[in-house]
Parts: sequence; C-alpha cells; structure tokens
Amino acid sequence: MGSIEMDPLLLAWSYFRRRKFQQCADLCTQVLEKAPYDQEPDSDVPVSQAAWILKTRALTEMVYVDEIDVDQEGIAEMVLDENAIAQVARPGTSLRLPGTNQIAGPSPAVRPLTQTGRPITGFVRPGTQSGRPGTMEQAIRTPRTAYTAHPISSSSGRYVRLGTASMLTNPDGPFINLSRLNLTKYAQKPKFAKALFEYIFHHENDVKNALDLAALSTEHSQYKDWWWKVQIGKCYYRLGMYREAEKQFKSALKQQEMVDTFLYLAKVYTSLDQPVTALNLFKQGLDKFPGEVTLLCGIARIYEAMNNISSAAEYYKDVLKQDNTHVEAIACIGSNHFYSDQPEIALRFYRRLLQMGVYNCQLFNNLGLCCFYAQQYDMTLTSFERALSLSENEEEAADVWYNLGHIAVGIGDLSLAYQCFRLALVNNNNHAEAYNNLAVLEMRKGHVEQARALLQTASSLAPHMYEPHFNFAALSDKIGDLQRSYVAAQKSEAAFPDHIDTQHLIKQLKQHFAML
Amino acid sequence: MLLPVFTLKLRHKISPRMVAVGRYDGTHTCLAAATQAGKVFIHNPYARSQHLNTPRLLQSPLDADVSLLNINQAVSCLTAGILNPELGHDCLLVGTQTNLLAYDVYNNSDLFYREVTDGANAIVLGTLGDIPSPLAIIGGNCALQGFDYEGNDLFWTVTGDNVHSLALCDFDGDGKKELLVGSEDFDIRVFKEDEIVAEMAETETITSLCPMYGSRFGYALSNGTVGVYDKTARYWRIKSKNHAVSIHAFDLNSDGVRELITGWSNGKVDARSDRTGEVIFKDNFSSAIAGVVEGDYRMDGHVQLICCSVDGEVRGYLPGGAEMKGNLMDTSVEQDLIRELSQKKQNLLLELRNYEENSKAESSSPMNESDGQRGIIPANTKLQTALSVNLGSDSQAAHVELRISTSNDTIIRAVLIFAEGIFTGESHVVHPSIQNLSNCIQISITPPKDVPVDLHMKTFVGYRNSTQFHVFELTRQLPRFAMYALSNPDPTKEPLSFVNFTVNERVQRVVMWLNQNFLLPEDSEIQNAPFQVCFTSLRNAGHLYIKIKPSGEITVSTDDIDLAGDIIQSMASFFAIEDLQVEADFPVYFEELRKVLVKVDEYHSVHQKLSADMADHSNLIRSLLVRAEDARLMRDMKTMKKRYVELYDLNKDLLNGYKIRCNNHTELLSNLKAVNQAIQRAGRLRVGKPKNQVVSACRDAIRSNNLNMLFRIMRVGTASS
Repeated sequence: MGSIEMDPLLLAWSYFRRRKFQQCADLCTQVLEKAPYDQEPDSDVPVSQAAWILKTRALTEMVYVDEIDVDQEGIAEMVLDENAIAQVARPGTSLRLPGTNQIAGPSPAVRPLTQTGRPITGFVRPGTQSGRPGTMEQAIRTPRTAYTAHPISSSSGRYVRLGTASMLTNPDGPFINLSRLNLTKYAQKPKFAKALFEYIFHHENDVKNALDLAALSTEHSQYKDWWWKVQIGKCYYRLGMYREAEKQFKSALKQQEMVDTFLYLAKVYTSLDQPVTALNLFKQGLDKFPGEVTLLCGIARIYEAMNNISSAAEYYKDVLKQDNTHVEAIACIGSNHFYSDQPEIALRFYRRLLQMGVYNCQLFNNLGLCCFYAQQYDMTLTSFERALSLSENEEEAADVWYNLGHIAVGIGDLSLAYQCFRLALVNNNNHAEAYNNLAVLEMRKGHVEQARALLQTASSLAPHMYEPHFNFAALSDKIGDLQRSYVAAQKSEAAFPDHIDTQHLIKQLKQHFAML
Repeated sequence: MLLPVFTLKLRHKISPRMVAVGRYDGTHTCLAAATQAGKVFIHNPYARSQHLNTPRLLQSPLDADVSLLNINQAVSCLTAGILNPELGHDCLLVGTQTNLLAYDVYNNSDLFYREVTDGANAIVLGTLGDIPSPLAIIGGNCALQGFDYEGNDLFWTVTGDNVHSLALCDFDGDGKKELLVGSEDFDIRVFKEDEIVAEMAETETITSLCPMYGSRFGYALSNGTVGVYDKTARYWRIKSKNHAVSIHAFDLNSDGVRELITGWSNGKVDARSDRTGEVIFKDNFSSAIAGVVEGDYRMDGHVQLICCSVDGEVRGYLPGGAEMKGNLMDTSVEQDLIRELSQKKQNLLLELRNYEENSKAESSSPMNESDGQRGIIPANTKLQTALSVNLGSDSQAAHVELRISTSNDTIIRAVLIFAEGIFTGESHVVHPSIQNLSNCIQISITPPKDVPVDLHMKTFVGYRNSTQFHVFELTRQLPRFAMYALSNPDPTKEPLSFVNFTVNERVQRVVMWLNQNFLLPEDSEIQNAPFQVCFTSLRNAGHLYIKIKPSGEITVSTDDIDLAGDIIQSMASFFAIEDLQVEADFPVYFEELRKVLVKVDEYHSVHQKLSADMADHSNLIRSLLVRAEDARLMRDMKTMKKRYVELYDLNKDLLNGYKIRCNNHTELLSNLKAVNQAIQRAGRLRVGKPKNQVVSACRDAIRSNNLNMLFRIMRVGTASS
C-alpha cells in the first residue's frame, strides 16, 4: 500500500480546494522542507514554487475576511476625521446628520432610535450602531457604558487582531520574513506577486509593504492590470488616503468594470460623507450589472443611513426579487413592516428567515413580538422562551426580558411586567428603555421619588431618547416642579421635535409662567 | 456719494483672491471664500428658515449662515459657476497645489476630483472657443488644463512660465471666447483654443486679468500697476505703491459701460472709468481687500458689487441711479480737484512768465555769453542717437551701447530713458556730474530678454551754466536680438544643435530681416546665397550661426533652444509664414531633458512611498491620541504621560518626514516645470499647425511614458517617422 501514494502537492491542492487550509499549509511546509527553498522563489524548482504559492494562499485564506462589508470605524477616525468636505451639509445629503429627514420614515414615537438618532435597522452591521459623538471624551466613554464598543482606530482594531492571530499559527516565526523580501524581484513575476500581495495584506496586515509591492507590480504591468489598481486602492483606503484610493479605483473601473470595484469606490465616498455621490455610483454600477444584489443592497443601506426608510425598503425589495434568500433584506423589510404596524407581514418575513436556517435569539425574539402584535398569543410565549434559551450573552437576555415586559404590560399583568423589567436590568444595568418603563410602572404605583430617580438614570444613559425626558417632565409637572418640568420638556423637544404631547406640555408650562 | 447697501461682518478670515459667488442651489446667491487652515466657507444668509426645523444644529444666527468645507490643503484658487448645464445649479471649484475639486455644494457630492501635478494657481470657468461644454480651466506651472464636468481634460497646452492669472474674453470679436493667460515671465498670452494668437509683454508678473466688454480687458501687475487693454493696445494704466489684489468689471454708475473696480492691499476700493482711468468712486476698508465680485445677494433682482476684506468684512454696493448723475464721490473730492487745477494754473503762469522774459531778452540784446543762462540754444541743434554693440572690456561686461550726441557745442545735462522690461522700474536716468558734461553721452543697455523694445528718450540740452534746458523727446527701437554681436565664423566652434527649415523668400528679404533684428556694425554688404553669418551672444558668449542656401533652406545653429525659437518666431512674423515645420536637434538639451524625465519618475515613486508613510504615521498618531485621552479619563496619569511622550516623538518624526516630502515635492515641481517648458520650447520652434501638433504629440508621448517617441517628435515634429 505504501507504494501508491498521492503526490503531496496534489494532495495539498486538494486540501486547499476543500478549504482544509491548515492541512494544506502543513503539507506544503513538508514539501518545502524536502526541496529547500529559501525566500527567493527559484525558477529551477517548479514544485517548490507551486508549494510556496499554495502555502501562501492557504495561509491567506485562513484569515481572509471580506473587506467590503467588514469595516469598523474606530474612535480615532470618528473624532479626528476631517475627510468629509462639508462640515454641516444640507440635510439629506450627509450621513452625519441623522434625524433630519423625517418625511420618509416612521416617527420615533413608533420606531425606536439608536444612539445616533437613526431608526434601528433590522440587521446589525458594523456601523449601524455607531454613533458620531461630539467630543472625544464622549467617544471614549460611550463604549464603557454601552455595549457597542469601538476599537480605538480601525488600523488598531479588528485588522490587528486578525494579524496577530495568524502569528500564533506559526510558532517558529512567520512563514515569510517581510523585511528580507526583495519586493522588486517579486514584482517582476505577476503570479508570485499576486499571492504574495494577498498574504502581506490579509495575513501580515502590513499595508505599507503591500502598497510598495502593488506599486512596483502595477508599474511592471505598465499600468494595464486593473487588479493591481484595485489592490493599491485598497491599501490607500486602509491607510485613510481616500482621495488616492478614489483615483485608483476610478482608473481600474475605466479598464475593467467589476462589481467589487464599484463597492470599494462607494465605500470611499461613504467615508468622505458623500452619500449622493455613492448613490449615483451604485446606479452607474447597476447600469452595467443590472440587478446586482450587492449594489442594490448598498443603495438600500445608504438610504437607511440617511433615514430614508421607504426608499431603503424599495431597494431591499429589489434585492429580494433578485436573491430571495438575502438575509439582510428580509430582516430589514421585516422590521420595517413591524414598525409600520403590519406585524402579520413582518411575521411572514421572519418565518422565512427561520426556514432558511437562521436560528438565533434575536430572530425568536422578533417572532415573539410579531406573534403578540398579530394576536397569535399561543406562539408568543414559546417564542420568547426559545429566545431566552438561545441567548448567548446577558445583553441579549436583557433585551428579551425587556420585550417580555412589554408583552406583560400589553396583557395587563403589571407585576409580571415589573419583574421582567427588573430582570432586564439585572442582565444589563445600562438598559435605558427598561429604566424608563420601570419608572412608568413606579409612577402608576405612586412611588414618585423612585420613578424620578429611574427616569434620571434613563435619560443620562440615553440622552437621545425623548421618552425619559418627556416622562420626567410630565411627572415633575404633576408634582408641581414646573422649572424641572420645563427643562426636561425642552430636552424632549430637542430629541423629537414633532412630539405633540411635549409641545402641549411646553405650551401649558409657558402659560403657567406667563400667569406668574 | 454711493453708500454700501449692506455690510456684513463674517467671523472668518478670507484669503486674498479666493472669493466666488454662486447659486449652489440654483436660486440663492451665496458667497464662497477660502479661509484659514485649508477650509472654504460658504455664507448662505437664506438658510435660516431651514435651520429652525433642525434643532440638532443649535448655532448662533450668524454662524448658522456660514458652513465650512474641509479641503485639508491650502487653497490656491477658487471659483464657482455652471460646469454641468444639466445640473441646473452652480458648482464650486477649488484648486490646490496638487488637486482640483469640482464640488456640488447642494448635493454634498463631488463632480470630480483630479490630481493636477502642475498645480492650480489660477482658475476660470466658461466656454472656450469651439469646445461646446463649459470648461474649468486651470493654470499651473507652465501648463494649462481644461476639464469638463466629468473631469475629462478636453483642453491642454503649455505656456512660457508659471501661470498667475486667467480670463476668458472675446479677444478678436468672433463671438467665441479666447483665453487670456498672465504668467510669471511678464507676458499676457492670448490662446485661441491651443493656438497663441497674441502676446503682450508687460513689466511685471500679471496677477489678475478680467474681461470688461468686447475685446477690452483689465489687468493688474504685482508691482501695483492696473490698466486696461483693448486687443493688443494698452488704453491706460496707473501705478500705485499698493498691490491690486482683485480687479473686476462692473457698471457702477449705470452708464451702460463697465468700470474697472480694483481692490487694493491697503483696503482701498476704487472704480475707474474704462476709457481714461479716472477715479469715479472710492471707498476704504479697515484691512486689505480679499476679493471683488458681483451677485444678486439680496435676491431683489439687482446685481450688487460685493467687496470682501481679509478680515471678513463684506460690503455690497448697488449701482448709482440716474439721480446721482454718475457723481459717486463725496464733495471733498471736488475740492481736491479745484485745488489741483489751481496748482496747475499757477504752474502755467510761471511758465508763461518765463517765456515772456526770454523773448524780452532776445528782442533787447543780441547773442552774448549770458544767453546760456537763459536757456537759449541754436535753432538748428540736432540730437543724434546711435545703437551699437560694445564687446566690453575687463572692467565692463559686454553690452549694447546707446550714444546720444548733439550736433553742436551744446551739452547734454541729463537723459531720461523710459523703456519697459530693460531697467528695473521701467525708467533710467543718466545725469553726468557737472565737470563731465559734454555734447555726447554713452549709455549701456543690457536687455534681459530678446524682445524688441521702444526706447523713449528725453534729453535735456543746454549750455554748461544754463538753468533751464530744452527737452528733446525721441523714440528709438532697440532691435530684438541686440545682444548678439557679429563675429567671424569659426568652424571649430559651430554649435552641434541646429534647426533646419525652408522659406520661400529671396535672400534680400532675409538680409532685411537680419538688419532689422540685429545690430549689425554697418549695413552688411548684400551677399548672394549661399551665405552665412555668425553671431556671439553678449550674455553667455554662445555662438549663433545662420546659414542660407540658394534653395531657401535656412539653418540656425545654436545651443540655446530658446534663442532658436525666438529667431523662428521672429522670422515667421516678418515673412508672414503661417505654418512652418522644422527639423531640429539639440543633443545637449535633449540629454538634459532625458535626465529630468528619469528624475521625475524617481520623484514620483519616492513621493508615493512618503505619502504612504505619512498616512501610516498619522493613523498611529490618532490612535495614540485616543489612548492618551483614554488614560486621562481613567486618571492614569503615568500611562497618559507615556502616551503623550510617544506622541511627541512620533510628531517630530512626522514633521521631519514632512520636510523631506516638501523638498521632494519642490524638486518634482521644478522638474515638471522643466518638462513643460521643454514641450513649449519644442513648440516654439514651429509655427502654426505643426506647433500645435508638436505640443499635443509631446503630451501623448509623456503620458504613455515613451521617451524615444518624445525626442523624435521634438526632432522632426511628428510622432510617425
């Protein structure tokens, strides 16, 4: 039996195809040990060349993350960013001024807002929860209080973690010693250069060296290879040189139109805070690639970020027409239906997600809520039970308990509601909504002082929410503390200008003051 | 007296010349201006009502009118206007030393962002010649580029030196706009698309140009001169010790003709009549003027003149109505005028009395020695001038000698020469000390450039002890190539570089051209073709050979490519040649150019590396800053201190890197300038169509990085062999 053995290289290649990268890399290491092959790929030994490339690719694939979607903005980028041209752009043309375009979406009275004042989306992506804090202090403090922790900067965040993780896989040091590489030599050999570039960029996360290699290679290809241009653009984007990145992507697009390039370029425009340009670009891309799901989805995301929910929903529907298993689109449309008072339709979308094999706490939580509002009470509590059992961390459990509290309020079981909110707070003591609702319950019981304390906690935790402010104002008004009532009402108005009750309250207070 | 209709104090500094007015949303007129720290602000006084609905932007009312745009680079030019006619509103164009940004303010979106390696010193927006779409034309180091709204460069050409001002004006009255370019080499050039139709030499760097109406345009120089041209003829000019920051044409007295409004560096704004240069209105600001523009800023259908000072003060003036009868100045100005006139009268009376006394003396006594004091000279006194080449001596460099002598025993007390571009400050006075007075005076002239110059001389002639002198005014033209002396042909010293071309002219005409453009010792004997003349430059002792064959083939041999270009241009205009293709070879110059091109490549790659380094560093700095602040918030002072020390070191590194990058950039710029100049010089060796072909072919060759093709084009004039 020993005589019939597969060629190790073929075996390694097979491992690679089957995505068993670790085995593939190990095998390649053995091959390379047999045919000693130093840093320099030697054209005399084709086997070791192939093994070298295969190992490079396997190591890259192990840590490869799709860069288009994964893009987390760090605190440093958020606070110290001056890339956007307009500091205060016209409402509706910027991603930085949410809450100014109320025409297209449901009001905050119906749909809750995230910290930044954007309505919450149906799908959590990096960036959907990110706020744009006013000062650095606020920025640094937020992650400590809320659970949307930001990395300090994008270059020190996720990318570094990935890079260091890959180091651990090789206890005898890195496979390729970057400082000893002669990049010019590799740039002469396009096949090596491409594999090596991806290795440096993804595995080593050394953008500067990657950029050097890419620059040399594109020169070698006489600026005719669009792939290298895209890679240079990626490097520039990673380094925060958006304008240079834009130039490279545009040049690449001129040579070869690719969906990826469109997406990267749109990312550049989003970073430059030019959503309108990004939208135009996506539409150009759709002319070339009609019905391309990622492009449609990109449009929908931008509309969503600009608070234009109805347009976003339109595009999500287009996405579903092309790809009816698109989780993000289904989830977003579902939540949109839920918040526009159509829980039955939302229920159908969530059930579709369930059919597709999504099986997690959030989904069951949403299903439970939809069932409740669609008056299918039999399913409600079971869904929530499932959600609780599936919850992976305390924050998720807190959310489920909070929603259960809602159900309890809905069915009139106030003591159950009280306990649910308490449990939510036990799981996550920064849950501002739970504080607020608990305060309302206390208020009903006549515990004014406790209610006030809870409301104050809620408003300090989530200044963007209007409810605690308004409740506080109403409570203070009731007990005759008009001054505090007025201050809180003003805050409430700032958070939600069109809230009728707040306006009434302020008017009433003003009359009181005028009488004095 | 014309009073401002509105005055605003914006709390932002305004960079000089960086002011533009546009309707960024299609209806409301807004003022955009560059301010400090690489920012542009837009003052939009109409947005207040909108802001009431957005309580998240709580700002004081005046601040709410101003929105800032980050450019993150020093703004070097700014304009606004319609670039994309389909858009329906204006866009803002911001140029920096490396980039041009066309920005749609209303939609917060780029129209395009282009890298312009030659920099953007000046910008103008409008239609040029037959190109249908509006172009944003920028002028940088020796290069002109025009972009349409998609960022395609539809127009590109080179010019003599760094461009400082641009304007679009219907120069030849054909209904299409020509481009006026004012550059650092003191020339105003007129481009009809990419062909130069006229060149006007001025005396200093042209800092601003503005079209008035028809073919008339205003200009301002860096030495404080402001004036008006009609086509190639200067109407008037005035000179001030202050600098004209901004000029603009505006009809301030409602007489249907635009006046030239000038904003000065001392805060003065004045309006001058386009015909005479007479001041019809002036006003003072407390600080230097940053820009003068016009626009309907109050949205009442009337266009106002808007003047901005560097401190952010903005004043708007409505044109004076009919009831003001064009009298825009206050009364004190009239009194000034009366004072001035009475002064003039006084002077005239004095002069009259002088004449009376002279005539009395003449009638009473015959000629005697005391005549000299009275300033009478013989009626037949003549003044002779001669220009010659002086090869110089040990004590004196070679120069052109102007010799002025009188025909009799009268002496020359002083000579006042007025000529543009030869002397520092335009005029030159020679007044020998009282012992050295004679009837002959020699003046050395060394023109720095090969241009024909008119010498306007005023000579004071009289007797040794006269107190009053007669003034002789005469004008003499200095030939274009006065700085080249005829020398004996020496075949060993013949330059390697040459230009070859054929003209269909008789030899006599060529000799005429020689006589007109060179200072030949005496009229050189008419030679028959073939003949050859040899000159030596007085500036650098370089040789110039001009050979003519009977077939009309002319060979100009010189190592100086500029000189060859000048000679060809001069011949072309003399013989009225429209198109001329030449064969040229400048081995030394081409070799230098090749080195420069290699260097440009090197600098480019180094530049890229340095920028990546800097971006990397600045990312690190950001994260260090956040970490340090984080430590501060946690009251971990030790870590905070450590972080800040790291930050300080990194910052120092960054500064050093910046210095290196700066040097690299200036080197790159000077090399790019040399390349552009080389293309321009190669173009100047040709006339008419071949010239444009050479310029565009050279550019294509540089774009495709094909050096051999570039040199072939420069040699034979076409890309295809």
